[in-house]
Amino acid sequence: MNPTTAFPWMIALPLVAAPIIYLIGRLSVRSRAQSAAPARWMAIVVLLVTAVLAFFAAQPILQGKTLTLTFYAISLRLDGVALLLGATVTFLGLMVAIFSLRYMHGDEGEEKYYALLVAMVGSIIGLGCAADLFNLWVWFEVMAISSFMLVAFYRDQPASLEAGLKYLVQSAAGSVLILLGIALVFASTGMLDLAAIRSVVNGPAPILIAAGALFIIGFGVKAAFVPLHTWLPDAHSQAPSGISAMLSGIVIEAGLVAMLRALGALAAVSSLWGVLLLIFGAFNMLVGNLMALRQEQVKRLLAYSSVSHLGYMLVGLGASITFPLMVGTNGAEGAFFHLFNHATMKGLAFLSVGALLYALHIARGDHGPLVLSDLDGASRRYPAVAFSLAVAVLALGGLPPLSGFMSKWMIFVAGFQSQNGWMIALVIFMALNSVLSLGYYAPLVNRMFRHTPAPIVENGARVSVSMRVPLALLTLLTVVLGFWPTLLSWLTAPAAAALMAWFGVQ
Amino acid sequence: MNLSPSMLAVIAILGLLGVGFYALLASRNLIKVIVGLQILVKGSMLAFVLAGRLVGNVTLGQSLALTVIVVDTIVAVIGLAISVQIRRHFGTLDVKALTTLRR
Repeated sequence: MNPTTAFPWMIALPLVAAPIIYLIGRLSVRSRAQSAAPARWMAIVVLLVTAVLAFFAAQPILQGKTLTLTFYAISLRLDGVALLLGATVTFLGLMVAIFSLRYMHGDEGEEKYYALLVAMVGSIIGLGCAADLFNLWVWFEVMAISSFMLVAFYRDQPASLEAGLKYLVQSAAGSVLILLGIALVFASTGMLDLAAIRSVVNGPAPILIAAGALFIIGFGVKAAFVPLHTWLPDAHSQAPSGISAMLSGIVIEAGLVAMLRALGALAAVSSLWGVLLLIFGAFNMLVGNLMALRQEQVKRLLAYSSVSHLGYMLVGLGASITFPLMVGTNGAEGAFFHLFNHATMKGLAFLSVGALLYALHIARGDHGPLVLSDLDGASRRYPAVAFSLAVAVLALGGLPPLSGFMSKWMIFVAGFQSQNGWMIALVIFMALNSVLSLGYYAPLVNRMFRHTPAPIVENGARVSVSMRVPLALLTLLTVVLGFWPTLLSWLTAPAAAALMAWFGVQ
Repeated sequence: MNLSPSMLAVIAILGLLGVGFYALLASRNLIKVIVGLQILVKGSMLAFVLAGRLVGNVTLGQSLALTVIVVDTIVAVIGLAISVQIRRHFGTLDVKALTTLRR
């Protein structure tokens, strides 16, 4: 298929399909069959077709070109970062859809779940491709709206309503700040196209510095920068497990990519954007790890660990942006590799925990959280799930030879290449944080494999095949990418090059 | 003292933002929090219209403001829908009562 025809369809298909999935699912639920089965299977088919379209659209990008598309006033540009984000979200979305076949089976509003999941995937693909500041905001809001509804999905659970409202209010306030930043940029340059803004901006204009600061705060709410992260543990732990995997694995990273796009246009305004990212990275790593250490609920623990993993990515990105001559694309490549790895590892961790949560609690109609003591001896009753959760958390903790180690190692090396004392101190701090994080990952593994089974585990329900398939695939990927990290450089190298192009250093 | 229309608009924007943030931070009623969000967004819409006027592209500024209205309405509707459910399950709209996740 021609890449220029595949590109618009790759974005349009999920967005067009989402309402159709809802309507067909709704009709099927109300009909005599009373099942949302058509919605389930349609969602999986749509995501598969999107993946195929993305494959065709990707071909020119892998040869170092970019695809642009102008549809009335909407301009879209498929480059390395957009491709990485699109590929990651489509893959993870597919895994989550397959996992949810059983997990969400028979829940009230199941058809809504699949429609919103597909809409979320479509909006994140579009967000990566936005070439215009205002379009970027619109895609960002579409993603936010679908995630609000998914976080508050269990509308009979007070905790989930509370998490949803907290998330909505904080991100809506953040998006107002983004809007003000866009208005400032528009007022001082008269244009919205990111590349055009980059070409006219030169020198430190106070109004553009203010706009950049508003972008960092506004997008920082969604990307869980540390003082703005308070919604994250609530939202990620109360959402259905598949959605927790999506939120942690890709939605906060999409916020980060949106921020980088907007800041890239203002790169000439200040040389401090990269330094700011590094500072936020340090706070994110430390606070995320320290908060995760004292959590009792497994999903909250994993949510806090996402805060610290975003910090690792910020360190890699900041290294490339701040020291473009010494580090080159290495830091960004490590960070983008970590972005993909984090999506697979954290996706795997949340889906494994979701499988246990389903077997131990939800299958019995109990909506309580999965606490640490529920994991005691889980390997006896659920060897495969316990193994995949162990692989996921050890990879997240950066144990060689799993994929998380490889991407952290790349960021670590890039930090040393800067030959700057502060940067080297920061990557050593990152390595120490990685060790600190084992302080809460290792006890999980210990509990599952060495403790005697708790009664709740011995009486747990079985885990179905549709849950095991995505777990097995993601486990395999985590291990394989650890042994052969270069397998993914066809995706991460163009992404790193595209990031450097956004910031005008090549 | 003579104020130009642009100056008046800037004062109005800052005023709306101030009122909005105050409502967001100070009010305990969920409906008031969502009204606060709405006031904030109104400030940013005015900023777009003003920016369009300043750069001599009035139509673009206005069409951006219209898009913001659409998106913002959806957010408000979802916020109110969640508030209705919260009233149903917590029996109150008081923000201080939402403590199931505080730890």
